[in-house]
Amino acid sequence: MKFYTVEIEARRRLGAYTLLSYRWPGDGIEAGRFVMARAAGYPVTLDPFLARPFSFYDFEGGVASLLFEVRGRGTALLDRARETIEVTAPLGKGFEIDASTGRAALLGGGIGVAPLKILGRELASRGIDHDVFLGFLDAKTAAVADDFPGASVATMDGSAGTRGTVLDAAPDLLGYPAVYACGPNAMLAAVKGAAGQDGLRQLSVEERMGCGNGSCNGCVVPVDGGYVRSCVEGPVFRAEVLAW
Amino acid sequence: MVVRERATEVDLTVELCGMTLNTPLVPASGTLAKEALGEAEGVYGAILPKTTTPRARAGNPPPRVAETPAGMVNSIGLQNPGVERFMEDLDAFDLGVPIFVSVAGETVRDFADLCERVAGDDRVAAIELNLSCPNVEHGGLTFCAGPAAVEEVVGACRAAAPTKPLFAKLTHEGVVGNARAAEGAGADALTVMNTIPALTIDAKKRSILVRGGLSGPAVKPVALKAVYDVARTVEVPILGGGGVTSGVDVAEFMLAGATVVQVGTASFVRDPAEILAEFSDYLREAGTAAANLTGALE
Ligand SMILES: Cc1cc2nc3c(=O)[nH]c(=O)nc-3n(C[C@H](O)[C@H](O)[C@H](O)COP(=O)(O)OP(=O)(O)OC[C@H]3O[C@@H](n4cnc5c(N)ncnc54)[C@H](O)[C@@H]3O)c2cc1C
Ligand SMILES: Cc1cc2nc3c(=O)[nH]c(=O)nc-3n(C[C@H](O)[C@H](O)[C@H](O)COP(=O)(O)O)c2cc1C
Ligand code: FES
Repeated sequence: MKFYTVEIEARRRLGAYTLLSYRWPGDGIEAGRFVMARAAGYPVTLDPFLARPFSFYDFEGGVASLLFEVRGRGTALLDRARETIEVTAPLGKGFEIDASTGRAALLGGGIGVAPLKILGRELASRGIDHDVFLGFLDAKTAAVADDFPGASVATMDGSAGTRGTVLDAAPDLLGYPAVYACGPNAMLAAVKGAAGQDGLRQLSVEERMGCGNGSCNGCVVPVDGGYVRSCVEGPVFRAEVLAW
Repeated sequence: MVVRERATEVDLTVELCGMTLNTPLVPASGTLAKEALGEAEGVYGAILPKTTTPRARAGNPPPRVAETPAGMVNSIGLQNPGVERFMEDLDAFDLGVPIFVSVAGETVRDFADLCERVAGDDRVAAIELNLSCPNVEHGGLTFCAGPAAVEEVVGACRAAAPTKPLFAKLTHEGVVGNARAAEGAGADALTVMNTIPALTIDAKKRSILVRGGLSGPAVKPVALKAVYDVARTVEVPILGGGGVTSGVDVAEFMLAGATVVQVGTASFVRDPAEILAEFSDYLREAGTAAANLTGALE
């Protein structure tokens, strides 16, 4: 896999998360696609060894940004990178946008908000009205919602917005011709249940990845009759395709 | 592309079982998908897709990969569409270099039938036997659990594919005895080595994360010793690999006795073209050609 060393354009805290942007001269950045990223290249990062997948948060004026939550060593090192990071070219299949759907609901759980910013921008540019529903653990993680004006927010502990899950903040999803969601698998399964069978229902899944380009077969999700690789066939899937 | 131009200044060609390969690098089976072939062009002397089996296999449930220091543990479970669909798709791997096909079965008969099937196709330049999978007729021990098992399966494959170059792929455990047995049973070359059995645990959840095979730079010294020991035991050429991550690693495996070097896990974290460029730099500095390096330890 080819990695590119890119200069960090800006970095700031967005609530509990880190927003990191870099200049990307190439094309291919679309809502729901992702990059493999790491703080430094071989041989500096023999450990941690693998790069980590991140969705695009936004792309404007040739500047791409990633929004991430520090979970373990890979993200801690990215959080500390000062001048450059290493990224791959954009990977995977993003969200399908169908101008005829007219109206969309976007749901994010925790750091699953990441791909919704650029998705909202792409929908708006196609004239598709959309409502954003975000669920978090608490007010601290919910602070990122400031970057989503008009979004309905829920927190598990009730310290901001509605108390409960993102589905408690969302009204009847059945009425939306298009539903897009990103978050933990349990949330995606609940959204799949609540959104019904009709219309465009798309979920961005999160699986552990080895390579990001289809080579290792590590990142699979269950579908009827077996498994498919989420890095090349996804990470965005039509809800009805996923066997959960 | 600067990298590739520099690479052509030195003589990278090697001979393997009567084939001339443009470079000594070959992808390790299971680590290069057709979606990623773009980065393989001009880098590999042959292409080696993921192991195929008699019938389609769904593979193991996730999680299938876990990172470890300088490596990873995988438990993919040989997910593949089965040999017939695999062969229908084989043209996708045609980059104008030889295609080696890796096969695995659950019985000796499976292996022999697979060899007969793929040997009959002119697009297949050679067959690699993945002997690291469980032999259901022998209580789940692998096909390379010992010399007798190796001899039986390689002998049956030899008879089923009398003229196709046949590589036996071995793990490090008991590798010298198994190598001798594979050569005796008619293998034309040996692939050394496959992953090392390994386990990762999530201490927080107190559960097993992934039980599978360890690969990547962490296994390199083990693989080097296996190649070195085997090279001193057999006459047939060796496709060496296990943790190869840089051009100098390629040189080390050739010095230990490999004719061809397989790049696997490293291709997830580096562009294989960089590895080839570094190897070319090594040859240029050493003032030698790739073909002269095999076993050339002082
Ligand atoms: C397509 C895709 C897009 C993603 N987009 C984003 C994003 O935009 N922002 C963001 O913050 N994160 C995103 N993630 C998740 C991100 O890749 C992980 O948080 C990251 O790999 C953690 O690395 P680490 O080294 O910090 O943690 P590790 O040390 O690897 O792990 C820390 C903890 O996180 C868990 N973990 C690690 N990786 C994963 C994973 N892939 N899935 C589930 N649990 C995991 C581990 O079990 C462990 O408990 C995305 C994942 C995928 C597959
Ligand atoms: C994700 C993954 C999948 C693999 N699949 C196969 C396979 O299908 N058949 C096989 O013979 N070896 C398989 N291997 C083993 C590799 O071919 C190689 O022998 C091993 O990983 C050691 O080399 P490396 O450290 O360069 O990866 C796989 C390895 C990895 C990491
Ligand atoms: S991460 Fe390797 S196949 Fe998807």
